[in-house]
Amino acid sequence: MKKLRVGIIGGGISGTALGYHLSLYGNAEVVLFEKNAIGCGTTSKSAGTVCLFDDSLRNRYWDVRLYGFESYLKMEREEKGSTGFDKTGTLVAVTSEEVEATVETGIALAKAAGYQGEYITDKDRIKKILPLIDVENILGAGYTQDDGYFDGTMISNTYARKMQQKGGVVYTMTPVVEIVVSGGKAAGVKTAGGTMHLFDRVVDCTGPWSRFTGKMAGLDVPIWHTKAEAFFLSPPGKKLNYVFPVLKYPAFYALRAGDNIFICKSHLSMDLDNPMHAGQWDPDKLPATGGTDDYFIEFLFEQMQKSVPGLVASGLVSSWLSYRAEPRDFLPLLGETPIDGYILATGYGGNGIIEAPAASRDLAKFIMRGESTPLLEDWAFKRLWGKERS
Amino acid sequence: MDIAVCVKQVPVSNDVSVDPVTHSLVRDSAESMLNPADANALEEAVALRERYDGQVIAFTMGPPSAEKALRAALAMGADDAVLITDRAFAGADTVATARVLAESLRRYGVFDLVITGSESSDGATGQVGPMLAEFLAWPHLTEVRRIEAVETGRLRGLKKFKNGFLRAAVTLPAVLTVSYGCNEPRLPTFLSQISANKKSVPAYTNKELGLSPGAVGLAGSPTEVIDTFAPERRKRAELLSGTPEEIAGKILALIEKKRGKDNG
Repeated sequence: MKKLRVGIIGGGISGTALGYHLSLYGNAEVVLFEKNAIGCGTTSKSAGTVCLFDDSLRNRYWDVRLYGFESYLKMEREEKGSTGFDKTGTLVAVTSEEVEATVETGIALAKAAGYQGEYITDKDRIKKILPLIDVENILGAGYTQDDGYFDGTMISNTYARKMQQKGGVVYTMTPVVEIVVSGGKAAGVKTAGGTMHLFDRVVDCTGPWSRFTGKMAGLDVPIWHTKAEAFFLSPPGKKLNYVFPVLKYPAFYALRAGDNIFICKSHLSMDLDNPMHAGQWDPDKLPATGGTDDYFIEFLFEQMQKSVPGLVASGLVSSWLSYRAEPRDFLPLLGETPIDGYILATGYGGNGIIEAPAASRDLAKFIMRGESTPLLEDWAFKRLWGKERS
Repeated sequence: MDIAVCVKQVPVSNDVSVDPVTHSLVRDSAESMLNPADANALEEAVALRERYDGQVIAFTMGPPSAEKALRAALAMGADDAVLITDRAFAGADTVATARVLAESLRRYGVFDLVITGSESSDGATGQVGPMLAEFLAWPHLTEVRRIEAVETGRLRGLKKFKNGFLRAAVTLPAVLTVSYGCNEPRLPTFLSQISANKKSVPAYTNKELGLSPGAVGLAGSPTEVIDTFAPERRKRAELLSGTPEEIAGKILALIEKKRGKDNG
């Protein structure tokens, strides 16, 4: 059987999930190149929330959300600790009637899939779930108990290991420095060590680095960066004596991280035309910690005052800055490009952990069988050809 | 009780580069933070202010980017901060640094106490505190673990001494250096961080201090660094991979190999 040789650039959640799904095909010969360690880039700074309902992904893509969540639960069942799942549940504050409609639909979908979920309007009950919240400014809250957050780095490593078990090859500390395009077709990659690898397909899974990766192939990948500025708070009293759920408001979200609370401005509230929110930068220049802007501290402080006043007196333990890879319509960039054999699996924005399993499942099918799916068509890079200029 | 706290901005990582010509640390090459022992110094100072009133003023000498360390100090509770910065101060050794710090403290006002970390996490000489005391002509206590009492113009504390502790007292004004980890530094809060970010931080240059050009920076530094090098790394980590059973087998083999080596 002739094998299809696929080279994947990038070992974050996108590359490893795709590598794993490709490795399920007997005629795939998959090689993944990661310039550092698996899951150590943007993936490592992801909050990893995979909630059964929230505003991070429209209900239109419910199956994507469910497939991601259940893929990780399966991983966790197969090997405890392989996804870093922390089952905290999710509380989504309902701040308007529009949000209420979305939350009620999300809760109905979660229940239809067999999970616990409810829309709570009894404010005392909401306070019982999260004592620090101010219930005066909300209509109610959606609550699911079965979900929570995962560890993107652990998931990526689990995917990479599963891919290797099925014959895939993973090179770490191996930067790709050249994409070989011959006769308008991507034919392989060259690594920093000078080794040439020939492929039938080359897939860019480099997320915030995609603009740079695309340039190597002569392709303009319309990726913007939105700042994911995360702050870790030590709550008053330093210990939480209850399970702090993933908390979502339209403008920010919070989750527990050990005894601390992780808070961040939500990616859908970012404005690509606001230079404080977004731009096109070099992710290699990101510091490991710190690098945050006063703007976000002040923004989140105001949000805390208004919505979770119990956190206002928290200590600021640490912070980090990460870049989300966002196309202008905040949907991923998948599939074919004008360069034959050069494929994108990038632009997941803040949703890579949620979206990568389903998107990779479909993309692997497309690469190996040539069959597209409605999801691939919705998120196809083709939708932007000729429309985007950086 | 008015307290000056001298702090330093240091690289986050130990993986800093060294200028091959001057043999000094290239401090721009790494992310920076407030020197950890200086955070302990700030905590002691703020705790003393809470008990005895007064003001805590943070000082640092460094490039303009060192203002970040002062913002951290303000967020932790310092009332004000002063950045001492001038190209003329570049290349200063511990003597020139202490001289400039002493002059800056004099210029700012009258203090009852100066506290600083016992050493920085990058240079780690532990000399600036005692030298500062010399330039101020004040007594000093180094490597203080705990301040026990301040009464009738004297401060009593417990300091590290050989393998134990020494209870000692100094007459104020004095300089203390406190050991890293002697307390748990308080965290900034949203509010204190926002207020620190907005606070004006005055800068002293040598124009304000009026020190002779030969007394500051490289020219005022009697120390000559002949060479600087990274320690040879003899121990290397080995990454074991495989299933848990395979990894356990590899660990056992390593233990047996080590035992054989030790026995043989």
